[in-house]
Amino acid sequence: MLMQLFHNPFFFTALFAGFAASVAGGIIGSYVVTKRIVFISGSIAHAVLGGMGLALFLRRTLHLDWLKPIYGALAFAIFSAFLIGLIHLYYKQREDTVIASLWTCGMALGVIFLSLTPGYNVEVLNFLFGNILWTAKQDIFLLLGLDALIFLVIFFFHRRFLAICFDDKQALLQGARVNTLYFLLLSLVAITVVLLIQVVGVILVIAILTLPAAIANLLTQRFAKMMLLASLLGMLFSLIGIGTSFILNWPPGATISLIASLGYFLALLLKPHD
Amino acid sequence: MNLLKKNSTPVLSASHVFFSFDKTPLLQDISFTVQEGSWVAVIGPNGSGKTTLLKLLMGFLKPTQGSISLLGQLPHISHPYIGYVPQVNIYDQKFPLSVVDVVLMGALSELTWYGAYPKSIKQKADHVLHLVGLKHLKHRPFGTLSGGQAQRVLIARALIHDPKILFLDEPTANIDPETQKLILHLLASLKSSMTIIMVTHHLQSFIEHVDNVLCIQNTLTEFSPSQICEHFALGVFHSPLLHKKDRL
Repeated sequence: MLMQLFHNPFFFTALFAGFAASVAGGIIGSYVVTKRIVFISGSIAHAVLGGMGLALFLRRTLHLDWLKPIYGALAFAIFSAFLIGLIHLYYKQREDTVIASLWTCGMALGVIFLSLTPGYNVEVLNFLFGNILWTAKQDIFLLLGLDALIFLVIFFFHRRFLAICFDDKQALLQGARVNTLYFLLLSLVAITVVLLIQVVGVILVIAILTLPAAIANLLTQRFAKMMLLASLLGMLFSLIGIGTSFILNWPPGATISLIASLGYFLALLLKPHD
Repeated sequence: MNLLKKNSTPVLSASHVFFSFDKTPLLQDISFTVQEGSWVAVIGPNGSGKTTLLKLLMGFLKPTQGSISLLGQLPHISHPYIGYVPQVNIYDQKFPLSVVDVVLMGALSELTWYGAYPKSIKQKADHVLHLVGLKHLKHRPFGTLSGGQAQRVLIARALIHDPKILFLDEPTANIDPETQKLILHLLASLKSSMTIIMVTHHLQSFIEHVDNVLCIQNTLTEFSPSQICEHFALGVFHSPLLHKKDRL
């Protein structure tokens, strides 16, 4: 069975995509968990369905073959990140309700566009639950490009991001452009969400973005180690998840998310209580 | 009203400041000045607006009405000269940072273009940690410190960029008497080099050192330490004190 797995042409492409997404997920997920913006990230992730649906609708109706759903996802992710950033900064009193409505709005738009799109929409399930086995080689280049962009921004801005995550008032006193940094961080979350949607789909993306980082946070008190551990855990979950899904014929996205969740529960159980 | 006699230069002045939240007035007609090099204690019952006043003075909030001048300009323009020590319990204990990481955040403006701290700032971090007696814990995770140790780390963070004015929000809350003494001595040693404005519930510990006491209960009443002391003998110092002041 294992030999079959290694000879499967989709396996290594899928694994590569999983690893590329896990690295970005581990790094950005660490900020998401420590700044406690899991709900905001979930909203960005779900709003992305609207962009995917719109891109597919335009592609089919206007015959725009170059317009891939992932482009729509990227545009909607960045747009919703900015919108949520504005809500967070200027509409604090009902922030969670407004963000939840954006979450719903994005998903509803996605469902409507997909239902209006002519033809048999097999993509719908892939969007919702992911299908890493269908990752094309061109997608890998896009994933690597987005990974490189995230690395570059983090290299220059890590300490500033850390400062706004820990204490934004202190960062403000130090002349940091706190609001700009917050928007930049949310944009990175948006890009990471798009990367991870390739692996686990819209519905499950929040699990793979936050669970490896949450486990890493239980295991270390150093931020850099947390990022490294979260990336490695994401890779491990991808490897085990893809392998298990191949052997048991389970959907890979759900399998990866399930293993990440089990890993988190296990870490909670094994970690000594304070 | 100004009871300070130290130096004629005011570093801070509030003029007829009002502040409301959701149309509920929290602070009304607050006016006072603080002279350079003084140590001012801000007291008042819970929910009286002490922390709100501190946030207004530092420019984190804007007055609904009135004006505040810090070092001769609007508070947000004076940010580089402010050191701020918040209450220690606002921080996430699970946040994965070392003590020195936290201290260095007080020198964020010194980051190079590629996002690293210069060597001189790292040495300064060692120096301020030595000043608060915690250099030996510089690599310890911040979340594992006791309340008193964490408070001293936050003081070190505020001192790393040599502020002209230091704001502290209940620096001795929930810490043991020994650490309270340490913090008191530390602040007393800083008094000559900067202006200190401190919200506190432990005025008895500081009363010998402060130059002025601002009592907040939506409005502001200003006292000299000697006026306060007679009320400590009675063990009361909030509302009764204000009523007494009205009769003075």
